[in-house]
Amino acid sequence: MRPLTQMLKLVVLVVVCTCVCVSQPTDAADESFKVIVNPENPITAVSRTFLRDAYLKRAADWGHGTTVRPVDLSRPSSVRERFTHEVLRKSPSQLKNYWNQQIFSGKGVPPPAATSPMGVIEYVMDHPGAIGYLPSSVDPGSAKVILVR
Amino acid sequence: MRYQASFVVAVMLVAGSVRAQPGAVDPAGELEEAEAPESPLGKIEIHGFASEGAFWSTANDYLGESSRGTLELFEAALNVSSEVSERLRAGIQLYARDIGKFDTDYPRIDWAFLDYRWKEYLGIRAGIIKMPFGLYNEYADIDSARLSILMPQGIYPVRNREALLAHRGFAVYGSHRVGAAGALDYQAWLGSLSVPEDALTLAGADLERIDTKYITGAQVFWRTPITGLRLGGTWLRTSIDFHVQLPPDTVEQLVMAGLVPPDYTGALVVSQRPASQVIASLEYQRGDSLFALEYGRSFKHQQTSLPMLIPSFDEDRESFYALATHRPHERFELGGYYSVSHLDANDRLGRDMKWAERHHAFQRDLAVTLRYDVNDHWLWKLEGHFIDGTADVDVATNPKRYWGLFLLRTTVSF
Repeated sequence: MRPLTQMLKLVVLVVVCTCVCVSQPTDAADESFKVIVNPENPITAVSRTFLRDAYLKRAADWGHGTTVRPVDLSRPSSVRERFTHEVLRKSPSQLKNYWNQQIFSGKGVPPPAATSPMGVIEYVMDHPGAIGYLPSSVDPGSAKVILVR
Repeated sequence: MRYQASFVVAVMLVAGSVRAQPGAVDPAGELEEAEAPESPLGKIEIHGFASEGAFWSTANDYLGESSRGTLELFEAALNVSSEVSERLRAGIQLYARDIGKFDTDYPRIDWAFLDYRWKEYLGIRAGIIKMPFGLYNEYADIDSARLSILMPQGIYPVRNREALLAHRGFAVYGSHRVGAAGALDYQAWLGSLSVPEDALTLAGADLERIDTKYITGAQVFWRTPITGLRLGGTWLRTSIDFHVQLPPDTVEQLVMAGLVPPDYTGALVVSQRPASQVIASLEYQRGDSLFALEYGRSFKHQQTSLPMLIPSFDEDRESFYALATHRPHERFELGGYYSVSHLDANDRLGRDMKWAERHHAFQRDLAVTLRYDVNDHWLWKLEGHFIDGTADVDVATNPKRYWGLFLLRTTVSF
């Protein structure tokens, strides 16, 4: 059998498999979020670009000498899905690939992930440079809510 | 197949790791990082992957005896890293592989460095550091972080992985935001290559030692205001001596032919001074789709300690590819690339008399891949290549111009 024929058969097989899978529904992520920082942090607003860089660990400091320490929500979480899509501009699989690249090239590891919004608030209160996000409906307690421009 | 036992162990480790993960909901609000062991230096992260597969070619032998089919497509790595302080990280990764005729006798240190990020615009790494040329060289051996099993071989050749993946020395890096124009990510490095003797194959002689005088390079990427679009360039330059020992019968023939003095020992030094490479890169990621385009040129001036026998020459190679991927579903990803390599950028079609066959001068590779993620830690891939030309293989044993290559691979990571 010629390689070209084999290649065409493989392409057809791949396309059919893919089309079958495309029809499967995915979960909607419609819960909005708010962003919190430690009350000692003088920042009152951040840009989406800074927020994205902070969570991808490209942004290292706040500009006043404090190291940025993002905290994530663990999966599965609809608010995490929305945050990943709207702020990081990545799908969950793209984000997983990004962190695999960072981990196995030695460049970094993902932010710690809390299993509940309360865990996010605790982390932010414990670390002066921390930044986190919560479902809009959750009371942030003593953490400071900041604007996202 | 020497790594099958370790592969099984790695899979068991991964399985154990997956089971050890905390539940999705924790009423106490504990952090997942609390599960990781604490050391006097800080939190320790342990990650690893193991990958096994098979490949078969319709003609020609690629990376081994592929025309008969082979299961020698194994890679594994285990790394440990720790945030010593808010700005200082340390880590090490061990790596082993058995890919056709390219295998490691024992796990090697893949990278091991200290990383101090002083400011956003300036950090420094020291140790064994992955070299960031092109879009993906730092990630070329991380199967779970990409779609293709084989990356475009003109830019990211598997056979040169041991030589080009990492250097030993220093690197500075950083990012700088340029307002509404986006941001610049940059790196520069200086060091030497640490190339194991068995990393390169040489027909008819023994490679005894590889001395790298230096390797240096720089890379800049512009993250444009268009979300997902980045443009960049990489330059690297090195100077390498390959110390080769010719076999006694070859030495005897050379002496009898009068090409070398009677007391010639068979020692030969092949010098590449300099060898340099430039790559221009474009990547655009939108939604679940990704498009990448890269163009590379490599230049080399080679000379030997036996110029009468092996005259010096200059080489100008050219490689480029276009790659597209799409993930229509959370678990499936589909894509492919078209990659072209020219051994002589000034003779792309092999018209010169130096080529025994025209197709020895080029290689064109159309590849298509399907990836299926069973879960976050386990994936399968199926890949096919339709190839025209033999620029990337030993033409002495690979005479066919048109050939196909098919690969199947599964990877677990944690």
